[in-house]
Amino acid sequence: MLIPPVVPGTVGPCPVAPDALKGIVRQQTNPARWNGGGWDAYVAELRAAGVEVAESMATRGIFATDAGGTAYGMPHGVVVARSTAQVAALLKAAQAHRVPVTVRGGGLTTEGESVAYGGVLLDMTGMSRVLHVDADALTVRCEAGIYWHALAEELRRENLDYLSAPLNMTSSVGGTLGVGGIDVNSARLGCSADQAIALRVVTPTGDIVECSDSENAELFQRVILGYGQFGVITEVTLRVRPYTPLRMHYYYYSSLRTAIEDLQLLDRNDASDYSGILTIMDCAVNLLVAFDSDEREAAFKATWEQRLRGYGEFGFALCMAGHYALRPWQIGEALYLLRRKQAVFPEFRRPEFHRDGRMDDRSVVFSRAVWKHWGSRNMVIPDLATSADRFVEAVERGNAVCRKYFRHYTLYCVGIKLRADHAPHYEMSCVPPGAEGWAYGCEFEPMIEGEVYSRDHFQSFKNAIYDIGVDMGASYYRFGGMMKGYIRRVFGDALVDRHLAMKRQADPAMILNRDVIF
Amino acid sequence: MRNVDVVIVGASLAAAAAAKRTVDAGLETIILERKELPRHKICSGILSPRGHRFLLENFGPLPREVLHEPTSCRGVTFHFPCRVEMPMDFFHGTTPHLHRKYSDYWAIQRSGAEVHDQTSFAGLEQRGDHVIVHARRGGEPIAYRARQVIGADGPSSLVVRAVYPDYTKQIPWFFVGQKFHEIIDCPLSPDYFHFWFHPGLGHYTWSHARDGRQIVGVGFKRGDNFAKKHQVVEQYLRDKHGVHLKPADDDHEGCAENFGPSLINRYVFGKDNVLLTGQAAGFLNMIGEGMSCALHSGAISGEAIVEAARRNRPVQEIYRKMIASEVRRCTDQWNPLKIAFDRPHEADFPEALMKLSWRERRLVLRDMWNFVVLFKEFKWGRQIAAAALQRPLFGAYPVQRWL
Repeated sequence: MLIPPVVPGTVGPCPVAPDALKGIVRQQTNPARWNGGGWDAYVAELRAAGVEVAESMATRGIFATDAGGTAYGMPHGVVVARSTAQVAALLKAAQAHRVPVTVRGGGLTTEGESVAYGGVLLDMTGMSRVLHVDADALTVRCEAGIYWHALAEELRRENLDYLSAPLNMTSSVGGTLGVGGIDVNSARLGCSADQAIALRVVTPTGDIVECSDSENAELFQRVILGYGQFGVITEVTLRVRPYTPLRMHYYYYSSLRTAIEDLQLLDRNDASDYSGILTIMDCAVNLLVAFDSDEREAAFKATWEQRLRGYGEFGFALCMAGHYALRPWQIGEALYLLRRKQAVFPEFRRPEFHRDGRMDDRSVVFSRAVWKHWGSRNMVIPDLATSADRFVEAVERGNAVCRKYFRHYTLYCVGIKLRADHAPHYEMSCVPPGAEGWAYGCEFEPMIEGEVYSRDHFQSFKNAIYDIGVDMGASYYRFGGMMKGYIRRVFGDALVDRHLAMKRQADPAMILNRDVIF
Repeated sequence: MRNVDVVIVGASLAAAAAAKRTVDAGLETIILERKELPRHKICSGILSPRGHRFLLENFGPLPREVLHEPTSCRGVTFHFPCRVEMPMDFFHGTTPHLHRKYSDYWAIQRSGAEVHDQTSFAGLEQRGDHVIVHARRGGEPIAYRARQVIGADGPSSLVVRAVYPDYTKQIPWFFVGQKFHEIIDCPLSPDYFHFWFHPGLGHYTWSHARDGRQIVGVGFKRGDNFAKKHQVVEQYLRDKHGVHLKPADDDHEGCAENFGPSLINRYVFGKDNVLLTGQAAGFLNMIGEGMSCALHSGAISGEAIVEAARRNRPVQEIYRKMIASEVRRCTDQWNPLKIAFDRPHEADFPEALMKLSWRERRLVLRDMWNFVVLFKEFKWGRQIAAAALQRPLFGAYPVQRWL
């Protein structure tokens, strides 16, 4: 029986029927293992060049899955990145021997994007130094494998801070630039990828190239938000800022719609430095607002605070008490809210991270809370990114899906300020095509709470969320891996094929992160 | 003795799905199959859209060789003694008409597992942290030492018999057989799978087109005569539907089926390091489609082995938690409350019913009731009702009923 090989990126004809699985692209999204042809010669060449390749089961097994835990794959070998030159040698040889290369930073992908289905896994965490801090120009040069929390720690010594980083600070800087990265100040400063000024990139053919908006701009555009398709980022220059503690304020809502409308009101009017929504199911919706300075805080209190329709903590508690007093059959939900409040709220107010009513270190507070109260063995966080005007609908539809699949869940919503000059970066990315000014994103995260679910259950839930995106013409923060089938459904064949043609030109053997989006 | 991580018994779709999960996670996996591959398998071949999506996502686009002609099926048509017909299209478009001989072989190959065909499972011994699997190849005994064993060898599972020697005596068994006829004239649409709710024909009566011939199939309680049952159905199709067929060709086939477990939430999932999956565990969708739940439950059995190793927990404990989602989905299809008030199937029965006139609806419901009464002797009614009531109360079916 002849099984024809599938060329990466191609969508073959469907012998079943044109209308089978309506709209679903005929692509294998949980990839087959690479056959290993040429591996021995490749390893021999790398070792001759002084590159250490770990092939033991124990080492490879560490990288068998990612934070999502729904995709598994074993690399044939693991290389820890040590230098740009080493990465260049690895890619040059891989191109010659047609060996797949999967690049991994913090491994916080959720759809298997950083899982190697054979070939070599390049662990970028070996390149994690801060190279230079320029306090006058407010920039930092670092290696791409550094985690955000390590970068924040180094910057703090210079009384500096990063601009915007993902909430989960064990993401690597390079990995984040390839997909986006959002923070509670993204509504003002844009996503993490927007903070990159210049990159050192090793192209899939092994060339080392410096790129920025003014130098090799086309490569820069493709690598930023490019899912690792057009090169391996080895060094990054980021914008930074002077460090300031935060003045935090919380407002509570029982309606998602109202909270989102207030969030967008603040964003539109530049009324806060930080803003975001974090919920306990859809019952207790917390609008988080924060400021870098007393002046900004005072201006907010004078002009905008009274326009917000949320309650303070005490007022909201009274509202909830009234609500559940009239609905005693929802006592289970009420008790869950109470338990959750008692567990989570103190995390954001721990005295060791506060001084004079200001939060000293948001990266520690947020990261700690994320891991402790939202993280689990499986990071299941499907998301939707839409234009501002369609965001409420997207969140409400996604919320209904959460209710159907899980008893408890949380939603996390933020705005992302779009930079007009970065429009080329955004093409075929997490930034939805129709968004102007701001894009809005919502993550839908079930509370696993020690339960064990099948991957099929998780995947069905994620597909139900992603299908909303297809229906609404939205996009996703986490694009690729096992959801790569959605890329053509969202962006259309013409755009995807144009990027595929660029990919083939840049990566003739299609070896670099080849199972991610094409 | 070969020492491996996982031995899977049966080269079925469930086995391919399980192997895909274990091989992906780096576990050394061997599939045992008593016949030479590719091997024949009796099956309607009409895969549900959910199963099609699983195949696509995990094994890639289907090659033409794995499909019969017509290559696809648009939906299901229910026929009733009152002569009302209810065609229902699948929700997600047409679905594949699999040639099981080649589709199973293709999926097994794509799973990446090592296959030992012409190797018959002969028994097993659970020995604490591992299992010794005894088999025979070419008449010679052969043994494997595995951390875990997955029984994916269908309804008449030898692994089930090895783990639960008395189980097969405790459940009712059915026989389903199909004969292939050259067509003289067949008004039944070749785009649909046709099913008869007719107590006079049998417990499970169907027909559909395949490779230029018409399949006439009938299922009944084991012990009845296949030739006579088939003759009744053929006569009925001729008289009531104008289906004129040539005498059946010689290649008729049949097999034993365990219809009951998914109706009454009485699945068998194995003991200790032996997991049962697919139809061996009792998974069967309504209208008898077992492939999609075989794929999904098979995958879950493989996932459970991987997850148990990650968590350092007993594999049975993890498997029984993970399989709950597939149990809900499968048993929902037989749950009368779900059928009435939800959409547990991949075609819309309530909508098709509402398209009928009030009189037709009444006749259809009457005929369905008469058909259900045919199963009275198995005493499933109370068990189905209990499961249906527990589902909304607890959000799941009780796990205590599983073996």
